[in-house]
Amino acid sequence: MTAALELEAVSAGYGRITVVRDVFLEAPMGQITCLLGRNGAGKTTLLRAIMGLLPRTGTVRVAGQDTRGWPGSRVNHAGVAWVPQEDGVIPGLTIAEHFTIASRFTSGVPADEILDWFPVLGERMHQVAHTLSGGERKMLGIAVAMTTRPRLVLLDEPTEGVAPVVVAKLVEVIRAISQQAAVLLVEQNLDTAIATAQRAYVLEQGTVVETGDIQALHASGVLEARLAV
Amino acid sequence: MSDGLGSMTLLAVALPVDSFNVVVLMATYVLVALGLHYSFGLLGIVNLAHGEFLLLGAYTVVAVQQATGSVVLGLVLAPVVAGLVGLVVERVVLRGLHERVLDTLLATFGVSVVVRQGLQVLFTANPQQVNDPIGGSVRLAGLNIPWWRAVVVASTIAAVVATALTIRRTSLGLRWRATVRNPELAETLGIVTTRSRAALFGVGSGLAGLTGALLAPLNTLTPQFGTRFLVPAFLVVILGVPGSLGGLVVSGMVLGGALGIMQFQMSSITAQMLVIVLAIVGIRFRDRLVGNWRGRTPRRQRARTADTHP
Repeated sequence: MTAALELEAVSAGYGRITVVRDVFLEAPMGQITCLLGRNGAGKTTLLRAIMGLLPRTGTVRVAGQDTRGWPGSRVNHAGVAWVPQEDGVIPGLTIAEHFTIASRFTSGVPADEILDWFPVLGERMHQVAHTLSGGERKMLGIAVAMTTRPRLVLLDEPTEGVAPVVVAKLVEVIRAISQQAAVLLVEQNLDTAIATAQRAYVLEQGTVVETGDIQALHASGVLEARLAV
Repeated sequence: MSDGLGSMTLLAVALPVDSFNVVVLMATYVLVALGLHYSFGLLGIVNLAHGEFLLLGAYTVVAVQQATGSVVLGLVLAPVVAGLVGLVVERVVLRGLHERVLDTLLATFGVSVVVRQGLQVLFTANPQQVNDPIGGSVRLAGLNIPWWRAVVVASTIAAVVATALTIRRTSLGLRWRATVRNPELAETLGIVTTRSRAALFGVGSGLAGLTGALLAPLNTLTPQFGTRFLVPAFLVVILGVPGSLGGLVVSGMVLGGALGIMQFQMSSITAQMLVIVLAIVGIRFRDRLVGNWRGRTPRRQRARTADTHP
């Protein structure tokens, strides 16, 4: 299976503080790969480093291309979409304007097709995005990311702070996304992760301490032990 | 404070009082702040070189007039020259410093000194004159309206409308807004934010250059010409809420209009002092009086969100 994303000995951090150390990781096409770890383990830092938002060492390859020195815009143009944990919308811009930005730089999936997943957004295209609820902002972030027709989607805790009915919808959409792209998912809720992903990487203090099939890791109790559930 | 008072005095003295002067002062206050709207209001750069970009525009007209005898050609070239210098300053001096307020303040102060001294070397400190390219005036509704001042007012309206349309109605403006409001997300949606920031600073510098060129025929020019506009420009942008074009227009009209009206009633220096007091009081109580319109959620949207998400 083709790896949409390959990390080799990646280290990253903020200033002189190294948060993520020597990470090796692969995210294959057509699969959901989950990054698990306690708060502060370095999951978000790793996603930001992949996206070119943080200085890093080591090698990040997207569809075989080394992205060393690339700014976020170039990483995006290579087919990577990022849905951040917070600030996933642009204040002052309408929902429609978010789609305009996202579709301008690629062939762009028609917004109508994406909005079939989230009809609530389609009803409010001219609403300013920062006035949406938390769950709707998450939906918008995912919908906009998918408009760029990515081959790799980085999802940073998409279900955090979202009502259970919305979580179910998001999980359904994430599964649908994985049919056409690789997904690297950061998820705090272990049950959601197990129900959604095929593979898992467990981070502790910035390093990968477990990796493998998520069901197998769950069955052996490794995940629960590592995450102290 | 004394610097600011002096600056505003010079600004007022530069435009002798007549019936049309109130309108001209309102337009001038808006125009001198419009370039700063881009660099300070949108990008957050405390641009102490703003006055020197006006100066570059004015001296471009001087240089072209001396070389070719054409003021109009100078007016066309002034925003181009100032804009290109702005692009170079952004690329060489400011890139990488955004969000470092003190560093940008020091850097732009350095740029202002270099530009001012450079022009003094090139043109000496002697006063320079730019010919009024139109001359004459027209009587309208009992007012005596000098043509060039009417051009300044019309240019201000055109510049404000062009800015509003560009920012609100074009894909370029959409990219600029995204860059300013959430640069990280904008970048990861494919916008080259370094390019957007450079364009914003370049356009702001170009507008400052145009402003200097338009005001040049109304003033005697020295290398200190730009400095006099710095304090009024910052007062207008801050009173109007940085980043708000509508706020800038309102505050520019209020401050410029107040100055124009008060100059009929009292000495120029007292009028300047009162305008500064008005600006400070306005900044202090602005949010209480009119709300912070940038962060305010429209009532209709607030109600809709509340209905859906109790």
